[in-house]
Amino acid sequence: MEALFLAMFKALVAGLLMGLVFALVALGLTIIFGVMDVVNFAHGEFLMVGMYATLLTAPLLGVDPVLTLPFSALVGAGLGVLCYHGLIRHLLRGPTIAQLFGTFGLMLFLRNLALMIMGSEPMIVHQGILVGKSFVVGPGIVLGATKLAAAALSLGAFWGAWWLIDRTKTGKALTATSLDKEAAMYMGISTERVNALAWALGGASVAVAGGLLVNFWPVDPNVGLLFTMIAFATVALGGFGSIKGALVAGVLIGMIVQAPPVWDAMLRLVGSDAAEGFTIHSLKYTFVYLIYFLIMVVRPQGLFGWKQ
Amino acid sequence: MEAIRNAFDFSDFPRLDMTVAGAALVFLLAFPALPHSSFAMATMIQFLMFSLYGMGWNTIGGYAGQVDLGKAQYVGIGAYTTAVMMVRWDVPFWVSMPVGMALAVGWSFIIGYPLFKLKGHYFAIATIATSLVLKDLFEVWDFVGGAKGLELPLRGNFPDFLYLQFREDYYYFYILLAMFLAGLLFINGFRHSRLGYQLRAIKDNEDVARSLGINVHWCKIKAYAVATAYVAMVGSFHACYNFNIEPEDTMSLDLSVLIAMMAMLGGAGSLWGPIIGASILVPMRSYLGSWLGGQAGLAGLDLVIYGAIIMLIAAVQPRGVWGMVEAVRGRRRGV
Repeated sequence: MEALFLAMFKALVAGLLMGLVFALVALGLTIIFGVMDVVNFAHGEFLMVGMYATLLTAPLLGVDPVLTLPFSALVGAGLGVLCYHGLIRHLLRGPTIAQLFGTFGLMLFLRNLALMIMGSEPMIVHQGILVGKSFVVGPGIVLGATKLAAAALSLGAFWGAWWLIDRTKTGKALTATSLDKEAAMYMGISTERVNALAWALGGASVAVAGGLLVNFWPVDPNVGLLFTMIAFATVALGGFGSIKGALVAGVLIGMIVQAPPVWDAMLRLVGSDAAEGFTIHSLKYTFVYLIYFLIMVVRPQGLFGWKQ
Repeated sequence: MEAIRNAFDFSDFPRLDMTVAGAALVFLLAFPALPHSSFAMATMIQFLMFSLYGMGWNTIGGYAGQVDLGKAQYVGIGAYTTAVMMVRWDVPFWVSMPVGMALAVGWSFIIGYPLFKLKGHYFAIATIATSLVLKDLFEVWDFVGGAKGLELPLRGNFPDFLYLQFREDYYYFYILLAMFLAGLLFINGFRHSRLGYQLRAIKDNEDVARSLGINVHWCKIKAYAVATAYVAMVGSFHACYNFNIEPEDTMSLDLSVLIAMMAMLGGAGSLWGPIIGASILVPMRSYLGSWLGGQAGLAGLDLVIYGAIIMLIAAVQPRGVWGMVEAVRGRRRGV
C-alpha cells in the first residue's frame, strides 16, 4: 500500500513539473489560435528550433544553457514573425484547407531543414549548472534540478504572458482582435501588426519552452510531432484560445503521461505480473491522443474555452 | 443501370481533356512493353497506388470539403487484414481484400459518427489523433507482429494470381491498373450520383444544404466510407506487393499527409486532380529521393523541397494544378 502511495506522489510531482513545461509549449499555440483562428501544424518544429538554439548557443557564447533563454526567445519570435509575413498572411486569403496545408508544408520544411543541417543524431545539453544535480525531497523522491528550474521558469513565462495580455495596452489590442477583428480594425487597431505580434509571442514562448526542455529531453529533427500533438491535446482540453486553460490542461496532461508507474505499483499490489505494465508505458502518449479525441467530441470548447 | 451509364459518362469534359486522358491510358497500357528500368516500373506502381489513394481522399476531402489527415489508419487496416489472413490462415488476396475493405469501412463508421460532429481544424486534428492511436495500438499488439510488423510467406510457385505473388513487376502493374480504371469509373459515377451532388452542396454551404433537407452528418459519413474503401483496397495490395508491412510505413502520419497532398496538389474536388497530383509528386519524390538520398549531407533535401512546394501551392493556388487550368480556361472563355 505504501509503495502505491509513494508511486502516486511521485507521479503527481513529476507530472506537475512536466506538465508546466507542456503548458508553456501549448501557450504559443493557444495565443495564435485565439487571435486569428489559425492552427499551426509547425508548432512542434518551432519548439525544435528553440531547443537547437539553446543547445548551439550555450557552448558558442560560453555561458550556461539557462542564460541563453532570452536568445532562444528572440529566435522564436523572429521565426514567428518571418512565418507570419512570409506564409500565413498569404494563406489567410484562401480556404481553411489552404491554412492546414500551408502550415503542414512549413512543418515538413523546418523538420527536414534541421535534418540536413544538424543530422539525425539526438543531442542534449551535457554541461551546465543544473545538469546532473538533484534534490532529495523525501524517501525515494528525487527532483532533477533541470526539471525543477524548467517548471519554475515556465510559471514565470506564464505570468509574463498573462501580464502582457491582461495589463498592457498591446495586450488589450490582442484581446480585442481575437474577440472581433472587424470592430478592432474600426477602433484603429492595426490587426496586421497584432497578428504578427501574436506569432512573435507564440514563437517566443514555445522557443523558451524548447530551451528549457533541451536540458533534460534530447533533441532531434523529429522531436516536433509528439509535442505538436501534446500541444493540440493541451489546447483542446483547456479550450482553444484560453491561457488559463492551457496552464491547467498542461498540468493534467503531464500527470497523465507520468501515470504509468502508478499502474505498475497497483499491479504489484494485487500481485500481478509486472511485465503486463510494459504495454501501458509504451502507450502513455496514446492516452494523450485519445483524450484529445474524446474532449473534441464531448466538449469541443474544452474546460475554459470561449471560442467555438 | 443509371449508375453504370453515369460511370462511363465523360461528356461534361471538353474534347482536349479526353484526348489527353486517352493518350495517358494508351501510355499506361503500353508502359511494360516500353524499355524501362525496374526503378521506373516501381515508380509507376507507386504512381497508380497514390492515384487511387488520392481518388479516395478526394471524395471526402475534395467533393465534401472535409480535410481528412488520418487516412493512413485505413491503409493499415487493409494491409494488416490481408497480411494477417495470409500469414495465419492462408487466405488468398481476393478474399482478404474485400474483408479488409469491409473491416475498414466498419471502423470508419464507428470513428466517423463522432468525428463528423467536428468541423474545420478540429476535424482535421481529430483525424490525426485517431490515426495515431490506432498506429500506437498496432505497435504493441503482438497478434499483428507489433512494431516489427508482418512478413508475408513466399509460396514459391510464380506467378501466383490467387495470392498475388509474382516475380515480375508487370503482373502487379496490370492488376493495379485494372483497379485504377475501375476506381476512376466509380468516381466518375460518384460525381453524378445523388451523394455526389449532396456533398458539393455541403461543401458550398452546410446550413443551406441542411435547410434543403440533406442529412449532412450521414452524407459525410457515407463519403468517408467510400474514401475508406479505396484506401483499404490499395492497402491490401500494398501488403502483397511489399511482402512486408509494419505500422511505421502503413499507418504513419506522413502517409496520411501524402495521400491528401496528391489530391490537393492536383486539385481537390476534380476528377483528374488526384491523378495529376500523383503524376507530379510520386516521380519527383522517388527520383529526387534516390538522387539526393545517396549524397551525404543532403538527406532530407527532397522533403525540404516538398515542404516548400506545399507552402507555395497553399499560398498561391489552393485549388491546385487543376485550379490553374480552369482559371486559364475561364479567362479564355471570358475573352
